[in-house]
Amino acid sequence: MGEMTLLEVEIDGQVTVKTVDRGGGFSRNLASLGIHAGDRVSVIRKAPFQGPILVRVQGSEVEIAVGRGMASRITVESD
Amino acid sequence: MNPIDLIFSSRENKPIPRIALLGQPNCGKSTLFNSLAGFKAETGNFSGTSVEFTESMAIVAGRKVRLFDLPGTYSLVPSDEAEAVTRRWLDQGSVDALILVLDASVLSRSLELALELAETEIPFVVALNMMDDAARKGITIDVDELSRRLGVPVVPTVATRGQGVVRVVTEAIGAAARHGRANRPVYDRDVDSAVEQVAALMAGTFEGSRARYLAVRILEADPVAEEIVAGAGQPVLDAAVQIRRGLAVEHGWPEDGVFASHRHAIAVDLFESVARVVRNPGRPIRDRVDGVLMHPVLGPLVALGVLAGFFAVSFFAGSALSELVVGPFKAFGGLVESRLPGIAGVLARGTVDGIGGGLAIVLPYLLPLLFFMALLEDVGYLPRAAFLMDGLLHKVGLHGRSAIPLIMGYGCNVPAIAGARALESRRDRLLTTLLVPFVPCSARTVVILALIGAMFGLKWVLAVYVMNIIVAAVVGRVLSSVVPGESIGLLMDIPPYRLPPLKSVAAKVWFRIRSFLISAWPALVAASILMALLEYWGIQDAANRFLSPFTEGVLGLPAAVGVTLVFGIFRKELTILMLFAALGTTDVASVMTTTQIITFVVFVVFYIPCVATIIVQVKETGLKWTAVSVGLNVLVATALALLARLAGSAFIA
Repeated sequence: MGEMTLLEVEIDGQVTVKTVDRGGGFSRNLASLGIHAGDRVSVIRKAPFQGPILVRVQGSEVEIAVGRGMASRITVESD
Repeated sequence: MNPIDLIFSSRENKPIPRIALLGQPNCGKSTLFNSLAGFKAETGNFSGTSVEFTESMAIVAGRKVRLFDLPGTYSLVPSDEAEAVTRRWLDQGSVDALILVLDASVLSRSLELALELAETEIPFVVALNMMDDAARKGITIDVDELSRRLGVPVVPTVATRGQGVVRVVTEAIGAAARHGRANRPVYDRDVDSAVEQVAALMAGTFEGSRARYLAVRILEADPVAEEIVAGAGQPVLDAAVQIRRGLAVEHGWPEDGVFASHRHAIAVDLFESVARVVRNPGRPIRDRVDGVLMHPVLGPLVALGVLAGFFAVSFFAGSALSELVVGPFKAFGGLVESRLPGIAGVLARGTVDGIGGGLAIVLPYLLPLLFFMALLEDVGYLPRAAFLMDGLLHKVGLHGRSAIPLIMGYGCNVPAIAGARALESRRDRLLTTLLVPFVPCSARTVVILALIGAMFGLKWVLAVYVMNIIVAAVVGRVLSSVVPGESIGLLMDIPPYRLPPLKSVAAKVWFRIRSFLISAWPALVAASILMALLEYWGIQDAANRFLSPFTEGVLGLPAAVGVTLVFGIFRKELTILMLFAALGTTDVASVMTTTQIITFVVFVVFYIPCVATIIVQVKETGLKWTAVSVGLNVLVATALALLARLAGSAFIA
């Protein structure tokens, strides 16, 4: 369905990673932690005080904390 | 030469293989290292830096090997300064073979590091660790197929139970001897031709396989490789970067991610051909625990409860333990002094006081604190604390990752500042390094517990900590508005919970206790003797008089504490011991007023970081920022102590 940033995904929402904005090693860092374009991820938790979101990658089942600023630079597509 | 000498000398001449353990964080690498090396291990530094590794000689299956435990890394591309230092060291050919420790329970991600390593010239073997966790997750791995595909030996291990660890080292020794090479990953045609083109550019400067290795690293946008190639000629590097840009444009993916995403595809393919996920039973325990510990409301409450509870235990156990020892030592010191004439008696009492002080005051508090910190680290709680605190830390200009060094600071500021190295941005590192000295380490906790705790009770101890956190937050806020730049933000793996083997935790505690025994305890004894001598010669009074405009004039404290504060700079543990010596009693309340005690504690909590902290600060941030840090601490300490004095005289009769 629609494209949005990872930041906008509700808890328990499942999405597919489309693109990663800005270089500076960001997309490589994401990749080394296990988040790649095309990966299906779900948002499982959000931290208090406008903190980061916790993302689980389907398949590898790794869980990555992504800060709000970073999450706003990741475009995802909901299915 | 007799036959026995011949045997020995031929053994001695055989070079001892140097084998390093490499792996992603939380893969069980250090547990594997500890099961081989244990308590004999030493910590070392990469030359010219404060980046630490652990090193040990070990005898494995009759062979002597030199083992290195390298800092955990997700990729060969360094994401912080410590990883860059480690990479340069590896690129210099510092080891004969690597043991790549892979977490079998997250194999698809771990395999990317294996594929990166396959392009290097360093022989390696794979320790497929956490096979038990993988089995629990329903993952079965065809070990022989993985070995065949990678072209290196693969040994399944369960490091926590010591399974497979001897065999993996034996295989590594073999790989070092035959200079074993892994199979190179097969890339798509366009990626492969980019590698060939870049390698061809460097063919004149580097020999074949090294040129290819550097070509792959350059396409990966690896800064360490760029340094090496730039050293050989900037035009070569520029041409190589052009090829990388072309590849990125063609694939429509950021320049720094194009190669990584391609390798990811290969890793997924490899994973699917060697592993089968039979069932996915979910993760009920982890989810339930995280549901509480990472809950927006419950999480922070649990965190506060854990910390408060810990200080309570450390307080009750610590004070009970220290009372058991302090009395006999005090009595023994007095007895010795009365039996020996003149200066000999003074020296003997100083020695006994120093030894007793270390044993009775420091160890009971230090030991539980260090044990608890090691447990928090190994169980996997700290990343969760970072997750919870990220939002709040943003308000003071930092982000969640800084939570880990700041929490570690409660144990000891020195490893905390060294731990700040794991922060990616220079600004975050600097701010965190400036803030860590505001966190009261275990030595200052001893002072707080022994003075505030023993005299006014636990409630006031907690009040001191709350006050401390507020002050640190304000200082952080001010600093972050002064130091230029912006925070990059949080990106962090949240590992599963793991019950660490007791041996690992014990080894960690032992390393830190040993560093106390080696560096601090002798200093404590020496300072105690010096203090006794100063007193004997009456120099102490002169020093105290010199400092009295500050101690008496500004802070309103007895002049006798002047020397105490100076000794406290060497080791914070000395402060309390020296205070007792200077005042001639452990019953401080009999010679200092309540206001004076509070003022003293407030000042001690914030003033100049100890010498060891200053040394590591200089290494990490340079002289200028260390001076800023020291000045800042003295300023804040003086201001707050003054405030405490004024408030005390206004509200306490």
